[in-house]
Amino acid sequence: MRKQTLFVLAAWLSCAGVTHAGISFDKNNLRVGSVVQQTVRGVVVAADGTPIAGATVRSQATARATTTDERGEFSLQASTGDTLLVSYIGYAEQQIPVTGTNLRITLDDASNALDEIVVVGYGNQRRADVTGSISSVNSEDFNRGIVTNPGQLLQGKVAGLNVSIDSGEPGATQDVIIRGVGSLRSGTTPLYVVDGFALDNTATGVASNPLNFINPNDIEKIDVLKDASAAAIYGARAANGVVVITTKKGRSGITQVNVSGSTSISSLARKMDVFSADEFRSQVAAVGGTLRDGGASTDWQDEFTRNAFSNNINLSVNGGSDRFSYFGSAGVDDQEGILNNSNLRRYSARLNLTQNAWNDRFKVSLNLAGVRTENQRPLITTIVSDMVRSNPTFPAYTDGQPTPVLSGDQFNSLVREQLYSDNANNNRILANFTPSVEIIKGLTYKLNLGVDYSTTDRDVQNLPFAAREDEIGSLNLNYTDNTNTLVENYLTYELNQGNHQATLLAGHTYQETFYKLRTWAYEGFPSNGIEPRYQTEAATRMLTSGTGTEAVKNELQSFFGRINYGYADKYLLTATMRADGSSKFGGNNKYGYFPSVSAGWNIGKEDFMQNSPFDELKIRASWGRTGNQEIPSKITQASYIDSRADDDTYPLHEGVSSLEDYPYGIVYTRLANPDIQWEVSTQTDIGVDFSMFNHRLTGTVDYFSKVSGNVLLEVVPADPIQPTTTYWTNIPGMEIKNQGVEAALEYTSDRSARAFGYNVGGNISFIKNKVVNSPYAVLTTGAAQGAGQTGSTINGYINGSPIGAFYMREFIGIDEAGFSRFRDVNGDGQILDNDRAVVGSALPDVVYAFHLNFFYRNFDLGLNFNGVAGNQIYNHTAMSNFTKGNLAMSFNTTDKAMEYPAEVTNNTNEVSTRYLENGDFLRLNNATLGYNLNPAAIGLAGKVQQIRLGVTGQNLFVVTDYSGFDPELNTGIATGGIQTFGIDYFTYPKVRTFVFSVNVSF
Amino acid sequence: MKNKITIALLTLSLSWSCTDLEEQVLDESLTGSGQAEIISGAIAPAYGMLPSTFRHTRYFGLQLIPSDEAILPARGGDQWYDGGMYLDAHSHNMTPSNALVRDSWNYLTRNISRTLTAIEALTPLAETNAEAAAALYEMKALRAYLNMLMLDSWGLVFKKESGAETSEILRGQDAIDYIDSEFLSVVDVINTDRGPGRMTQAAVWGFLAKLHLNAAVYRDPYGTPDFTAEDMSRVITYTDNIINSGGFSLSPEYFDLFNDDNHDNPELIFALDLRGILQNDHSRWAYWSMSGSLFPRPEFPNADGTDGPAITPEFYQTWVDAYGDTDPADADARFYQKNVDVPEALQDLTGFSPQNDQDRYICVAAENFEIDRGIIRGTPWGPRKDSDGNFYRCDGGYRIYAVGERREANMEYYVNHTLDIDFTANNGYASGYRVSKYQFSHTSPDGNNASSVDLVLLRYAEIYLMRAEAKLRLGDNAGALADVNAVRTSRTAREPVPAALNAIDLDIMYRERGFELYWEMARRTDMIRFGHYEDTWTEKTDTDVHHRLFPIPQSAIDGASNTPGYLVQNPGY
Repeated sequence: MRKQTLFVLAAWLSCAGVTHAGISFDKNNLRVGSVVQQTVRGVVVAADGTPIAGATVRSQATARATTTDERGEFSLQASTGDTLLVSYIGYAEQQIPVTGTNLRITLDDASNALDEIVVVGYGNQRRADVTGSISSVNSEDFNRGIVTNPGQLLQGKVAGLNVSIDSGEPGATQDVIIRGVGSLRSGTTPLYVVDGFALDNTATGVASNPLNFINPNDIEKIDVLKDASAAAIYGARAANGVVVITTKKGRSGITQVNVSGSTSISSLARKMDVFSADEFRSQVAAVGGTLRDGGASTDWQDEFTRNAFSNNINLSVNGGSDRFSYFGSAGVDDQEGILNNSNLRRYSARLNLTQNAWNDRFKVSLNLAGVRTENQRPLITTIVSDMVRSNPTFPAYTDGQPTPVLSGDQFNSLVREQLYSDNANNNRILANFTPSVEIIKGLTYKLNLGVDYSTTDRDVQNLPFAAREDEIGSLNLNYTDNTNTLVENYLTYELNQGNHQATLLAGHTYQETFYKLRTWAYEGFPSNGIEPRYQTEAATRMLTSGTGTEAVKNELQSFFGRINYGYADKYLLTATMRADGSSKFGGNNKYGYFPSVSAGWNIGKEDFMQNSPFDELKIRASWGRTGNQEIPSKITQASYIDSRADDDTYPLHEGVSSLEDYPYGIVYTRLANPDIQWEVSTQTDIGVDFSMFNHRLTGTVDYFSKVSGNVLLEVVPADPIQPTTTYWTNIPGMEIKNQGVEAALEYTSDRSARAFGYNVGGNISFIKNKVVNSPYAVLTTGAAQGAGQTGSTINGYINGSPIGAFYMREFIGIDEAGFSRFRDVNGDGQILDNDRAVVGSALPDVVYAFHLNFFYRNFDLGLNFNGVAGNQIYNHTAMSNFTKGNLAMSFNTTDKAMEYPAEVTNNTNEVSTRYLENGDFLRLNNATLGYNLNPAAIGLAGKVQQIRLGVTGQNLFVVTDYSGFDPELNTGIATGGIQTFGIDYFTYPKVRTFVFSVNVSF
Repeated sequence: MKNKITIALLTLSLSWSCTDLEEQVLDESLTGSGQAEIISGAIAPAYGMLPSTFRHTRYFGLQLIPSDEAILPARGGDQWYDGGMYLDAHSHNMTPSNALVRDSWNYLTRNISRTLTAIEALTPLAETNAEAAAALYEMKALRAYLNMLMLDSWGLVFKKESGAETSEILRGQDAIDYIDSEFLSVVDVINTDRGPGRMTQAAVWGFLAKLHLNAAVYRDPYGTPDFTAEDMSRVITYTDNIINSGGFSLSPEYFDLFNDDNHDNPELIFALDLRGILQNDHSRWAYWSMSGSLFPRPEFPNADGTDGPAITPEFYQTWVDAYGDTDPADADARFYQKNVDVPEALQDLTGFSPQNDQDRYICVAAENFEIDRGIIRGTPWGPRKDSDGNFYRCDGGYRIYAVGERREANMEYYVNHTLDIDFTANNGYASGYRVSKYQFSHTSPDGNNASSVDLVLLRYAEIYLMRAEAKLRLGDNAGALADVNAVRTSRTAREPVPAALNAIDLDIMYRERGFELYWEMARRTDMIRFGHYEDTWTEKTDTDVHHRLFPIPQSAIDGASNTPGYLVQNPGY
């Protein structure tokens, strides 16, 4: 009750329009005048006094720069009062005021992680003061190579974060799972916050990953808020964790121009081991099939894939005066996929501005990004299926044209490639404007206004093909608009009094998202050389099934507050509260309340730890609640519509012969449930952060337990006589439990006075997931596809087993008659679908990654490995394609089809453990060799600051038992909105890429 | 200037940002768009859903596959496996998660709900509006009919008078009484002239007869049915009403009952009115069984069969047993209708294959082409596609060839439908004799949708057969024989007209129903009523009487799991 009163008060404060009169600004914010330049000399050394060679020293006033020599010495034109910026990789940057002409500058190791600034919701904190579980990744630690989106930057970088990139398509979709899957429905996606602006995860109409619109080159750092203490300030959208992205900002005094370019070549990383033409001839005969021999020898995987070339160029400029700074960038990223007609092109520009005034009491910043993404996609499922199953004895081309029909009446997909196209163009602007003013000392008011506009047009078409009567041409047009607007007001009060340190935060936020989709579908186009998308008027028929409109508006209004208290930097306490109100929920439960508390103890600062090996040691504990509102809109309200759709109308009069004269039926399409509540995750976390041996060894270990309740599902009502088969409701008592331990460790060698240095590190997470108190016998999902698979499912979630579990029959071999044998699980003597059982899980028990970085003089080498263990993969591709029956019909297979000599060719390819494979893998995700060319060595001293040449190999090897293209995948098809995992259904194959890059800074 | 702008922005932002969070629904009207008229708007969805409810993968398949008149193996090792739902249905090993049973249940229950929605809308109007009252009677009759199907398949009915309340579940005699009273409440006031596409008085009489014919089974689904004289005499009363009304007559051509223009056939009492307008005006009863290599309509290259169910060898044997040395095709016009006029010289395919028979075709204009009908044995004839997927043509039409197997083979041999079919050795694409009972509609461009063939749910012949059976069960063999022969000898349009029978008993009655009503969703109910459901036939050895009723789908049991005791699984599952 008191909480509610507090929030009502906050609402009043916020909504009543408390404005801030009496603000005035210092207009004189530019210094003028000239100063005398002189030669400043100095030496740069490490903490132990050894000189550092190759460090960059730069004047803030003039941007002149130089590098230190072998003895660590430099000389530079600068003036008294100027500031020198001294940096060297692996060390913290120093700002040294010019106080004389002979300076001694000591650089500290950058590994002093606890001094790092962490971006928390609605503010920043020193790492040492953080009581929640937050992992930060800075730009220099991001994955290198062709990287299209933030998920790829982070893969393997954060303990407890499982990033699974689902295919080899440029900008592929990915599963980003923070601390286990907490929901049955689609939507494990965390909340992404870019420079304080919370993105909406609604589809933008681009079929690949919607986060591709953020240029990774513009990202300065990413903070991952993992536990409820850190995330609860984002309330109802934080149950899947929060990823906070901070883009690069300008720095006063320096004008730095950075140009980087890369070119890369990608190819199919790992072919599927299907039979060659000669093997095929003998194998078809061996299974007693009818060999259809086209007389050729074709490697269809070669025919359908290519060496793909990609180019990326980025230009950025940043700088500013002491009260104004800017960062501007422009980038072009042009990626080819290894399948034909598979491309992703992104043109991006960004401008980040900051202006301070009124003795720095007034600040305003603007972040503005404009992006155009052009995505071309092939008919992936068909192409991937055909590249592994097509008869290898048939020629790909006849008389220079694709052979139209292959054996078995199979239409050659090389022809389809010429007919089919899928082009999506997205234009998106993300901007936020944040003025803030310090009203009285310590009390700051901040406004955040943001918009995210996105429009996408996507044309999917098949050209007509005169040679075939049934290829009459088709077109689907899709226009998607997304608008996301944000208004936030918040007050921060900072108090520093002796040993007491406190920060108080209170605010209000209002966010509105609007999604609009319009689609048209046509068929029947003339073969006149004009693409269907440019002549919709020529279509013979508009299809009602692909034509329509959706428009959805959601509002979220929230009140939030946080108290951070620290005593003597040793004892830390954080409490947060957020009340989220959402238009998605019904009148009975508009608001959800998401509290958290956490505490930290910097034991390392206690006197009794003076002589311990620990430089820092902190114990953290937190508890909190976060919500999930990723459910469809409108589900709390009943709806009935007037419809003339198929099942809703009927001819009521004789003689009626057109739909216009059919009646409209009045049809209920949805049942009301105004009681629907938020899904709530309750998370407890206990963690330790430490730093030892002069900060060379740092690490963090967390135990967490996350329990998601109030599970929201679309389920069958108790009374079967209902207008709709299902309705949405919270399932009483049902919970999804995730428990785990995660750890990260990093060791950095002593680099002072050594030409050679290294750091090694890694992280590992162990997660156990299970469903409890489910009233459902089994929630099946992952619909098997293809002929004869209607109604078959692959995943099934039951009590005591994890989400992502595989639920199917256990294959135990081939019987004497040549048919499959399955284990009679319930012992009733029959093999029925009640003999299905949980036989494994698609989600790994262990996710790990490690990296090795070496530095030698101007060379550096970084190796990033990642892997998973304990999971299985359902090889649907093999179930569909690699059967003895297919081989007998002269379709190509791998030797999996020949596994059982006694098997007959008409044995049924049922969903079973026969196609379940071990999903463990270890990948050399990326390896980069870099060389920092000394500009002086090529006569560019003073003109060019840094030249870096690099070569990166991505996906250099994978250690796996999996027989498909790659073990990292998720291409299952969900049933009933329940998410599916670990199914390989004609997944776009993974690529191996070599990237050559140049980076020049002026 | 700047601070003014800032203050303006602050004020603006604060005034924007207050909301009551009422959800704005933009893309749908929660109260209807006003395009619907209240009476037609109420009844159209209740009727309109029926074609989907009776789809082959739902109620039609649910009745067909568990009986001895159809079997659907996983053909070629992959086609139609579909999670084992047809295998388990046929062998009477269904589990509550069987998708065929689930989908049938979901559509039937939702269809019942649509009749309830209509009844709720029409009831207040009916007192003053005769048209609303007439519509209300149809909806009550339709609800009772759909509930009777629930009773037949699951042994229960849902009694629900208001959307706001929870259905009352009735079984056994209570269920029979409820359906009976619902039919009786409208039978004297319902229309007599809107058939066959709508519920009429004759349809209600017919369904009342059906209810009482099966009441002994419905009363005690697992026991030996005890047919009461009262039930049988009521069957006779209702069937008499129809026959005496003079409104119907038996079709001289049996297959006309299942053609595009069957809507006007005077034998139809209740049928779903399809006019080739809607996607769900479907041809699925036509294409399901036919060869996937057969293209039935030269105008539409995308129309083909699916190699779905065939008849069991045992069901075929009932024809052979009845006609002895005479081939059933030469004894009974209902068994087969020859439409493709293949000259004698081309009929022998010995030594030929689709690879060397280029000149062995007949030339037929597209609109004149019809595939053979009835039970299809051996090799069908139809149009053939060239390697580009276009039909071979000839002067004035299309070349009609013996059909080559193009699904499991590359036209190396002909499709040849054989008697033998089972789940393992004989599960090829062509295994089993097929049923071409329903016409491939001339209005369906893909063989699936936009068909004009009305889906027959009750016809006059069955009225005679029900009366015959009731008479027989009451000991009036002569009366029964006369009714059965009335049907047999009515198909006079084409030779061979089935000969009149000399005698009748229950076995012959059962057999005759099989000949007249095969693949019309009657067989499963007949097998139970005549005590044959626990017999053994191909791939079916189960004898558990509990399997006469289907399992209640697990999804429904799960949905009701928070209301213990409400929806109880049928015994044996």
